[in-house]
Formats: sequence, C-alpha cells, structure tokens
Amino acid sequence: MDAVFSDNQNQFRQEVRDWLSANVPGERLPSLDTQEGFDLHRAWERKLHAGNWGMVTWPEEFGGRGCSLTDWLIFEEEYYRADAPLRVSQNGIFLLGPTIMEYGTDEQKERFLKPMAAGDEIWAQAWSEPGAGSDMAAIRSKAVRDGDEYVISGQKIWSSRAVFADWCFGLFRTDPESSRHHGLSKILVPLDSPGLTVRPIAQLDGDPGFAELFFDEVRVPVNNLLGPENGGWGVAMATAGFERGLLLRSPARFQAAAARLVKLYKQNANRLSSGIKEQVLQAWGDTERFTAATYALVAQVDSGASISSEASANKIFWSEMDRAMHRTAMTIMGMHAELEEGDGAIENGRWLDGYMFSLAGPIYAGTNEIQRNILAERVLGLPRQ
Amino acid sequence: MNLIYTSDQQELIDAADGFFAGEHTVDYMRHLLESDAPDDTPSLWNNFAELGLLGLVAPEENSGLAQDFSVMAGIAEMAGNVALTEPLIEIAGISVPVLAEMRATEELNAVISGDLKILPVCGLSGMVSHADKADMFLIGDGGKARLVDKSDVTLTPLKSIDPLRKLYKVSHAGDGLEAIDRRGTILNASFLCGLSKRMVTLSVDYAKDREQFGKQIGSFQAIKHQLANVHTQIEFTRPIVQLAATQNGRCVHQAKVSSIDTAMLAAETAIQVHGGMGYTFEVSLHMFMKRAWALCGEWGDRNHHINILETMILADDAELGPGTTFSY
Repeated sequence: MDAVFSDNQNQFRQEVRDWLSANVPGERLPSLDTQEGFDLHRAWERKLHAGNWGMVTWPEEFGGRGCSLTDWLIFEEEYYRADAPLRVSQNGIFLLGPTIMEYGTDEQKERFLKPMAAGDEIWAQAWSEPGAGSDMAAIRSKAVRDGDEYVISGQKIWSSRAVFADWCFGLFRTDPESSRHHGLSKILVPLDSPGLTVRPIAQLDGDPGFAELFFDEVRVPVNNLLGPENGGWGVAMATAGFERGLLLRSPARFQAAAARLVKLYKQNANRLSSGIKEQVLQAWGDTERFTAATYALVAQVDSGASISSEASANKIFWSEMDRAMHRTAMTIMGMHAELEEGDGAIENGRWLDGYMFSLAGPIYAGTNEIQRNILAERVLGLPRQ
Repeated sequence: MNLIYTSDQQELIDAADGFFAGEHTVDYMRHLLESDAPDDTPSLWNNFAELGLLGLVAPEENSGLAQDFSVMAGIAEMAGNVALTEPLIEIAGISVPVLAEMRATEELNAVISGDLKILPVCGLSGMVSHADKADMFLIGDGGKARLVDKSDVTLTPLKSIDPLRKLYKVSHAGDGLEAIDRRGTILNASFLCGLSKRMVTLSVDYAKDREQFGKQIGSFQAIKHQLANVHTQIEFTRPIVQLAATQNGRCVHQAKVSSIDTAMLAAETAIQVHGGMGYTFEVSLHMFMKRAWALCGEWGDRNHHINILETMILADDAELGPGTTFSY
C-alpha cells in the first residue's frame, strides 16, 4: 500500500493541466439542457477529442488513451480543478461505450465508438417507463422482429439529454411471452427515427433536461441489437454498474464543490450560527473519505478485481454527501439562496443550480432505497422476503 | 499510488484475523467476564510473540518483520473485530516503532520476544488500559519519548463501563508526543472500524434469526436500510484510516472523527436491531458496544480532532480542492 504518485503519473497530471489551461473556455458555458448550451458543449467535446483527451480510459484502438483508472482519477482532478465544462456525452463515454466494448460486435464497435468519442453522436438513455421506474423489470415497451428489423412500440421516460441528442439506448421486450427480467433486449435507436416522438420535460430549473419518448412502430435494423436477444437484462446491469459506480462520479467533482463551500463559509463566517462550521468541515472531510475510498476501489479494479454490489455503497455515499454540502451552501446564503442570477445572486446562482441537481442524485441510476436493498441483500446477506 | 494491500501484506492480516477469530471468541470473552479470577484465564501473549505480531513493524535486525505501519492498521481492524482484550495493538503498533526510533534495543528485543510489556500513555488522558500488566510505560515528555518504570508511577484504578477494560490513571502521563499520538490515533480508528463491522455482523445474524409477524425481521426494509447505512459508513471510513496509516497529515484526524461517528452509529443501530435483547448481557453485543464507547474518547476525543481539523481546513493557506488529498 502506498499513497505516492509515480513520476509517470505526475507527468501525466502536468500534461493534462497544461492542455486544459490552454483550452478550457474562459467563461462557464450555458446549461447543456438548452439548444445553445448543448451545441457549445458538443463543440467542447470535439475540442477534447481533437486533443485526444476525450476518452482517456478507452483503449487506443477506439480513440482513447488506454489509461488506467488511477490515471483517469488524476485526469478528473485536473478537469475539475480547471472548472472545465460538464461532459454532454457522459451517457456515451461512461455508460454505453464500455458496454459496446464488452458486448458489441466488431461492426458495432466500428460504427458507434468513433462518432461517440468525437462528439458527433451524443447519446440519451431510454430505460425507465411510466410503469417501470425502480422496478425496471416491469418494462412493457416491445420490439417485435419483422425480417431484418425490429418494430418498436411503447413509451420511455426520464430520458436524459434526449431533447438534443442523436441516439438513444434502451431496453425493450423482445419476447412477448416473457415476464420480469427475462425476454428483454438492449437496442440502439436513432432519435430522429420516423414514428419516434420526443416530448421534452422541464426539470426543476425549467430546462428540458430529460424527455418522454413515444415509440409508434419505430423500425430499426436488427444489427442495432446490443448483446444477445432476450439477454438485455444482463447487458443493462453491466451498464447500471458503471453508472452507479465510479465511472459516473469521480471525487474531483465533489472536492471542487467542497473547496468552494469552504470559501463561501469564510466569506460569510461572521454572520453564521456556530453549527455551520462543523457542517462545512464534514463536507470537506467527506470528500476526502470519498477520495481515499475511490482510489482504493480503483486500485482493486486496476489489479483485476470486478466490482458489483459495492457500487451501491458508492452511489449512496456520493449522492448524499453532495446533497448535504449543497444544503449547507443554501443555509449559508440565507436570504440570497433563492436568487437565480443577477443582483444579489451569489456566484450567479451556481449553488442553487447545484442544490437542485444534487436532489436528483439519490433518485437517478437506481434510487438510494434500491441501493440499500441491494447492499442489505447481496452484501450483508439479509433475506429477500 | 496503490491504496490496497499487496498479497503478502493481506496474508499477514488474514493470518492474524484467523488467529483472533479462532482463539479470542465470544466464549473466551464470557469466561473472562464471568470468572472470579480472570487472571487465571490463559493469556494469548506468548502466541502473539510466536506469530511475530509483536515485532510486525520492528526492524529486521531486531528480529522484526519490518512491515509497513499500514499492515499494523489492518491487523488493528481484525483485533477490533474480536474486541481484543489484551494490549497487543498498543504495544506492537505504538511502543515497538517508537522504541526502534529511540534505539532502545534491549527493551525492544525484550518486547518483541514477549518478555517485557511497555505500554504507551496518551498524554491527553493519562488513562491506560491493562496498566497493571505493564512493566514500563512509554510517555512523551518535553518533545521526547521516555521510558518510565512501573515502580516510579502510581496507578489509580478507574471503573470503565467496559468490563473487559482494566483501566488505570497513570500518575506520569507526560505531555504527549506526535510519534506516539499519531500511531495511537490511527490504530484506535482502525480498531473502531473492526468493532463497527462486528456490530453489523452480530445484527445481521440476529435479524436473520429473530422472527416477528411470521417473518425474519431482517426481511423488513426498516431493518435492511439501517444496516445498509452502517455498512456504507464503514466502507467510507476504512480507506481514510488506511490512508492515514500510509501518510501523515489531516487525514489522521479525519480518520479518527469518521471512525467515531461510524462506531457510534453502528452501536446505536445494532442495539435497535437487537431490540430488548440488545439491552441485556445475554447477547454478545454489549461487549463490543461498550468497547466502542470507550475507544471513541481514547487518543484524542472527537472535539480534540475536530478542533485540529478546523485549524487545518480553515487555514488561509490550506490546500483544498481536487487532487489535494495526497499532497500535504
């Protein structure tokens, strides 16, 4: 066990730092859930790709750098240190990309990974349905085989990025006789397909961060099936593992926010009640716990271990830490907390945005209640029924 | 950068775990608790010497195993898992490395062979468990480590709620020393992690056994989610403790604060899951819970470490933000 970065790692960090300081836009981009913001974030993805910094963990053959996960944590630290833009292609990079590498055919890898890496094709998720949220196995949207095509009918909801994205990946029932997690398949669908209606849903901040998708006999080639037909549950679980686990939230993001919180506290300290100080210390301290735990988890993965249910504890911890630190910021801002922008709005409403976003954390990617069930049953061994 | 144990390190920790689990059982503890003459219960000290545990972090020239301190922290967690009643961790993990730094070769060799017990004293409290069994004490005094003979101090017995903790106030406690306090803090935090984990295990076993409304109570989400919370806190406490054992700095204090919060949560959750039985001597929980209460205040209590964290984190030149956890 050692906690010292190697010369190579330090050199890598310096390379990332140099590139970012020369290339990160000077001003924060508009929200990626607006057309203007989405386009600017896509342009940023293209720039990252041109510098070969888009997909550092992807193998070189797919347009990445083949970095270890430890290197990825370093990259993220520099990325958030530079306050670089959010990753609009996150669904593709961290969720679908690794799944295609694991389950995709050679043709699929060739067809999808490069445009994904280049920011030319941005992906949305299409998993949840009105009747299948936490209970994802209750999916009813169906894909019926017709010659060389699937004909998809049904409804998906909470589809992040779908309003402006190019493609979606979803889980559909391909065996009409099946129930629960049997008979589902993972299928890739262009969002501009005839018969597919995208209805934007306004999120708490008013922007259409997700959408409802209506499939009315949408036709896609059978080549868009990812993994085995009727074996989509296993494929989806692999993706869910990536999402819950370390690939979605590295510690850097939270350390950046907690450092800002300490600053906010110091600027306001003379008018705050005494309990706030300990909340601020807790926020920073929790990010250090999350950092140590993530480096330890990544060391296990880099040494060949696979993680599964452990990802649930990870998701609970970061999402509740994030919510708590943003609540503390809201408390510190007091009467200014409600101001979205303009006069009196602290950091132009960034903490308010962050607080609203943090409220989603314990809900998406499997609610924290579901994660606690997983931990209790699969890790602690408590009875299901 | 590699925050996991090597396979050799893990083997040593697993071996200690196996020994503790086999010998320092709940029955062994109950025997200590119920015997009129607890001193008659055979000590495990000679086994510790034979297993090389006493010289784990000592230099090779003193016939030690020259292991990293992080391995000692791993073994402290295993000791916590059984609520070890003998001061192995204090002597092997604190006294031995400080004796090596003092070049007190004669005493070091005698400690490693199991013939001499030198107990470290925390300058903050002067309270030492098992002080009656010590031959000498290691204190920090005026910025230096110093050995004090047992005959030169007065021991005043104290009554701890933990019946397996023979606690004494030592008359010469010194004013503390970083080399002693830092190791004491980290190993104490690690021990608390082990206690927390064991309290979860005991609660899971009980929740699978106990039935109400015609079902195992462990099938209820009200029980599951509470235990999942404790599990999550443990998983995010152990790594910061291991990091503290690998590098100095603010993570040492963070490790202690987190391990206290986790242990208190574990204890309160465990007694809630056990219901009325948890309030008795009939189930084993009380022995682990009381040890946790006691150790939370040892080697600097929560206030002490939070106050230090405050000066470190709120300092004008504090390095905070992404990538600062490893670069103090």
